[in-house]
Amino acid sequence: MTDLLRSTTFRWALGIALWSVLLALAMFGFVYWQTVSFLREELAETLRLEVRAAAEDPAAASARVETWIAMDRHATHYGGVFGRDGRRLAGNLVGLPAGLARDGDAERVGATIEVSEGSLGDEIWATALALPDGGTVVIGHDTDEIDRVRATTLRAFGLGLVPALALSGLGGLLLASRARRRLAVTEAALAEVMRGDLRRRLPVGSRDDEFDRLARNVNRMLDEVERLMGEVRSVGDAVAHDLRTPLTRLRARLERSREQARSVAEFREAIDQGLAWIDQTLAMVTAVLRIGEIEHGLRRAGFAPVDLTRIVREAAEFFEPVAEDKGVALAVAVDEGAGRSPVEGDRDLLFEAVSNLIDNAVKFTPAGGSVRVGLEQGPAASVIVVEDSGPGIPPAERTRIFQRFYRAERARQTPGNGLGLGLGLVAAIARLHGFPVEAGKAPGGGARLTLVCPVPAPTDPARRRLAVAQAGASAPAGILQPRSGRDPL
Amino acid sequence: MAKLLLIEDDAATAQEILGDLRGRGHAVAWAAAGPEGAERATAEAWDAIVLDRMLPGLDGLSLLQGLRGAGDRTPALVLSALSDVDERIRGLRAGGDDYLAKPFALGELAARIEALLRRPADTRETLLRVGSLEIDLIAGIGRRGGRDLDLLPRELTLLEYLMRRPGQVVTRALLFEEVWNYRFTPKSNLIDVHLGRLRRKLEAAGEPPVIHSVRGIGFTLTPDDEPR
Repeated sequence: MTDLLRSTTFRWALGIALWSVLLALAMFGFVYWQTVSFLREELAETLRLEVRAAAEDPAAASARVETWIAMDRHATHYGGVFGRDGRRLAGNLVGLPAGLARDGDAERVGATIEVSEGSLGDEIWATALALPDGGTVVIGHDTDEIDRVRATTLRAFGLGLVPALALSGLGGLLLASRARRRLAVTEAALAEVMRGDLRRRLPVGSRDDEFDRLARNVNRMLDEVERLMGEVRSVGDAVAHDLRTPLTRLRARLERSREQARSVAEFREAIDQGLAWIDQTLAMVTAVLRIGEIEHGLRRAGFAPVDLTRIVREAAEFFEPVAEDKGVALAVAVDEGAGRSPVEGDRDLLFEAVSNLIDNAVKFTPAGGSVRVGLEQGPAASVIVVEDSGPGIPPAERTRIFQRFYRAERARQTPGNGLGLGLGLVAAIARLHGFPVEAGKAPGGGARLTLVCPVPAPTDPARRRLAVAQAGASAPAGILQPRSGRDPL
Repeated sequence: MAKLLLIEDDAATAQEILGDLRGRGHAVAWAAAGPEGAERATAEAWDAIVLDRMLPGLDGLSLLQGLRGAGDRTPALVLSALSDVDERIRGLRAGGDDYLAKPFALGELAARIEALLRRPADTRETLLRVGSLEIDLIAGIGRRGGRDLDLLPRELTLLEYLMRRPGQVVTRALLFEEVWNYRFTPKSNLIDVHLGRLRRKLEAAGEPPVIHSVRGIGFTLTPDDEPR
């Protein structure tokens, strides 16, 4: 029970029950007050009219008073005509009620009423007006009727409040315990997840209420956690495997040189080869760390408006000599007006992503082939396109190539091609930016990789900021500001 | 040559760096902890300070901020095991002049220290002449001897960068950062290919080479009117 009292749902239920009782009380109070004042005003009005009518015609006053009294069989009408000396001339009131103003307004006063057995004192509603001869006419009515209505209403309400309270309390308890039961199931499932069973999922009901939505979201989160864990595991295996290869080679080389090298030059050569292999492994470790860093989204802080045209042109220019050396024609095609609206991003990372796409394309294109780097302008996005005339990517592999350490079949068959980190890095950068990256088929049958960069709405402040950024950085940094690349921002 | 202070807590790393820099003719002092480093940094005048980002007692960035706050403008290079770019920005904001992520090649460190020690005197100069090489940045043309060089804009920038630092070893990473103005580590052969192209253009008429590879480190431009 204390558990139940402590539970939030129960407290909510209790609170709502109390609130509904309060509401009921307020509403009843208002109705009660309105009813009573209505009855009172109705009676007062009748009395006022009656006494005015009686006073208007002094000669008939007594008759009118008697008629008023006789109108009611339950002896709730009172009245009296009193002479200038206070003597009763007509009616059933023994005397002029004390303290009753002769102004024709109704008030509640004490009066003595003549009944068959004698006289009795009672509270009545009464009005009085002066008569021209100095006498007074009084019209009154019993208060019991209003009092009875009042008492009855109050009692009815009192009686009704008990079941209302009980019902709302019970409803609250029911709701609370139902919520608790559902939570208990969820808690049990979560406890299992916490114990390490990542495949466990929370039960989702069919009501699609907030509990179900929450459970579904938690489940989605668990899916992601499970996927990431799986990826971490496979990445761990892949890293270990890929590190072992150069390290094994390195070890063998060192061992052999130690035994067999005869001259300083031979030792140097062995050391240089060793350093190259170490650099290769370090580059891999750095790349893995970088993917991790990018995926943690640590770099969003560095986002600023980015000129894609410039990035695409500069990346293509950067790779042009390598492509030429390999006998691959590298062409750049930037759509008219493309990149005029800047996108929000990290220019270093986007350059790296485009570089990796081009690097990948050049790598898989045989001599004599071509690579096309393009920036195409769609209605809502600038699309970076890298197409090659290489063997293309089989449909089954088109999503997998963006996984870390995934090396496509064609890469495995081509000796000396780096690790499957390049496109993994592209995917991580794309994810950080929220830009979809896709692999498809180029018109000539080669690979076509696209990075879709949505353009912010024209009113976006990004556009204005870019204008400023471009004005400040339009000169090639090497010429006028040789060290500008070092400036913190 | 130069008087350097190294503040680095890992003794093995420090010994390697000390050995390398001393081998290059620098006088290098070593402090292993933050407070000690701060004390030595202020007690003497140094040509440059190399300090680790994370130090026992007082971390590298606070140390640097303290120095800069006291008006000390000694060139400083921050070393860090954190490669995160935000880390780099933090390092530069704290007053660092350059930032090098671990692991690094000793040659890279030496070249960067050299770059800090020999900052080009006047970068507004638009007419540069080194030996038989000559470039006019306003007109965007280069000449070797009397021969006009057919240079692409990027090649001109690259040549300018080297000509402002004759005899100084520049690494591939430095070139990429300063000439291409992007920050990540591209495959080293890409820079080499660009340098190779520039070289061929400079030596097209059978002139002697002016750009030389420095094994395992990078490149250097040697004026062709001085003996190497």
